[in-house]
Amino acid sequence: MNLASFGREAGRAAAALVIALIVAYVVVLATSQDPGAAFTTLLTAPLSSNRTLGLWVDDIAKLTLTGLAFSLIFQARQFSMGVQGQVYVGGLFAALVAMSPIGATPIAIPLSMLAAMAAGAAYGFIPGYAKARFGASEIVSSLMLNYIAIRVVNYLVRAHLAPPGTGQLMTEPFPPTAVFPAIIPGTRFDLGIVIALVCVVIVWFVLYRTSWGLKLRLVGHNPKFAEYSGIRASAIMVSAMTVSGAIGGLLGAVFVQGRAFGKLSIDFDGNLAFEGILIAIVARSRPLAVPFVALFYGYLRQGAQLMGIRTDVPTEMISVVQAVIILLVASSFTVPGRKALARLLRRDEAPAGATAGVAQK
Amino acid sequence: MIELLMTVFSATFFVTVIRTATPLIFATLGGLISDLSGALNVALEGMMLIAALTAVIVSVYAPWYVAVLSGVLAGALLGALMAFFHLKMKADIILVGFAVNILAAGGTVFALSQATGGDKGTSINLTSKAVPAVDLPFLEAIPVVGPTLDRLLSGHSILSWLAALTVFAVWYFLYRTPHGLWLRGVGEYPAAPEAAGIPVNKVRAWSLVASGALAGIGGAQLAMFNYIGFTRDMTAGRGFIALGAVLLGARHPVGAMLAALLFGVFEALSIVMPNLFNWIPGELIQTIPFAVTILALILFSYRSQRARQLKTLSKI
Repeated sequence: MNLASFGREAGRAAAALVIALIVAYVVVLATSQDPGAAFTTLLTAPLSSNRTLGLWVDDIAKLTLTGLAFSLIFQARQFSMGVQGQVYVGGLFAALVAMSPIGATPIAIPLSMLAAMAAGAAYGFIPGYAKARFGASEIVSSLMLNYIAIRVVNYLVRAHLAPPGTGQLMTEPFPPTAVFPAIIPGTRFDLGIVIALVCVVIVWFVLYRTSWGLKLRLVGHNPKFAEYSGIRASAIMVSAMTVSGAIGGLLGAVFVQGRAFGKLSIDFDGNLAFEGILIAIVARSRPLAVPFVALFYGYLRQGAQLMGIRTDVPTEMISVVQAVIILLVASSFTVPGRKALARLLRRDEAPAGATAGVAQK
Repeated sequence: MIELLMTVFSATFFVTVIRTATPLIFATLGGLISDLSGALNVALEGMMLIAALTAVIVSVYAPWYVAVLSGVLAGALLGALMAFFHLKMKADIILVGFAVNILAAGGTVFALSQATGGDKGTSINLTSKAVPAVDLPFLEAIPVVGPTLDRLLSGHSILSWLAALTVFAVWYFLYRTPHGLWLRGVGEYPAAPEAAGIPVNKVRAWSLVASGALAGIGGAQLAMFNYIGFTRDMTAGRGFIALGAVLLGARHPVGAMLAALLFGVFEALSIVMPNLFNWIPGELIQTIPFAVTILALILFSYRSQRARQLKTLSKI
């Protein structure tokens, strides 16, 4: 991406953000007793203390990882929505390792991360394989797997992993060796952000400096052309979903082993996994742009959380901002012209491609 | 096991199946129409959710049919919104769909807390109304089969009867009217209808609106008959299951209805099973409809793939 197009993209994202905030302001104005306070909280609260700064950084790390997972999928032009499910199975397996005897040893953190990645990869592989082998729509199957993962993990936590007899919906805290060390003591500023940034570099390298990455982007751009040039598009597709699943699983480990939790509880992802869609769209699926988008969006997200706690405007108001940003950014990239028309035709094929497995040909 | 069979073959179970399948049938038909026009509507879930909340809130102040209509209107408006962003603003339809889903998941909680004065999650404080059930007592007069028929056909929501009618109407529209032909043509190969002077984008836009309206009835049925009142995320994946049912139903209205009924059976099972087998954890029973959707989708995709391969083979 050259500098000019980078500037254009950044400008569009900023414009979308401003419009979304104006919409949010109107909504707050219409619903709040004290709109000024609510909106100020939304925009400034994350900076108010060390603790809130830590929450912000923690969100950046998680949003970066989910954004990367979605970016990888979107670059291959797949619409697997399974990151949430991968986060749950990843979190579960990380927790299982952390609570086993290994959890008390120094290798607890790397091992549980590996376990989480393996579990997430396996979970990401299923919809990919089902699509490549049987032509089953990956959108539907990955979403179904999300619901299954959440319910199974919630059941295991409630009935088996929580300390018996307490009725708690979370496990005992992990041993300190299995929880990420804090980088700044007393905050949630922990290893998670380092892991996320390392992942950014790795994903960038893999996508833009390896032959697999080239093939993946080619498959995403034009699967027919890729197929004709001897690339096995379905194999690339499955592997992209698997690798993205590993990132999703890793996010699960970052969730449960981060200082925010340090244990496995039910419904732990707080719908953050799905916000990776927004991150990936605004970042145009570019790995290097993902952390910057996560930086801005994480700020807004924390602001909304604090607004929900401190004022009369519920946190969920932020979903309006999310939807407006996605709609604007996703739509803005076609300017009228010949290039746009070519893109449009391809895009029109995308949904048909997703359902091609059952299309009556 | 015997108990389960007894339950499954009882008239009450049949009534439960119809009840659980009705929102799915509407949503599936909605998904079918937009899918046939070439726009995969992944926002069925969000449309149902917003329609459900709209219907519940309106039903506090207005009769039930006005509430249902307002749900339909809400769904149709969302469809129009999607059409605007997809067709006018050239956004990817799947991303637009997920924007609607995100808006629905958070927006309904937000709107509900405004409507109830602080309740985040359920509409328990709102005295909402229900869609009336239809009883057919005259059926009992029929000799021999009368009482059974009465038990099978009574107690359904009016909207369930409407669902059956809608399946026929959608079939008639798609396969017996010129506009239905347009719609299918636009989905199959847009260049041809374009060349024939058919307004492709207009057809797509209207099919998205219709899709939203149908999903909206489904949402109204869910919140005004299956459950009375609104709880956050009450659609619980039904919109996505409907999306699977569109594919499973071979993109035909009758197939769509059968697929929706199949998923209705499994949802009904997940409702009755906790009473029969209390040793199976509730969470695992709840996964049944989702697992069945994946399996059915894989099996069906595999079969249609095989059929396609055989077709190409016979051509050679």
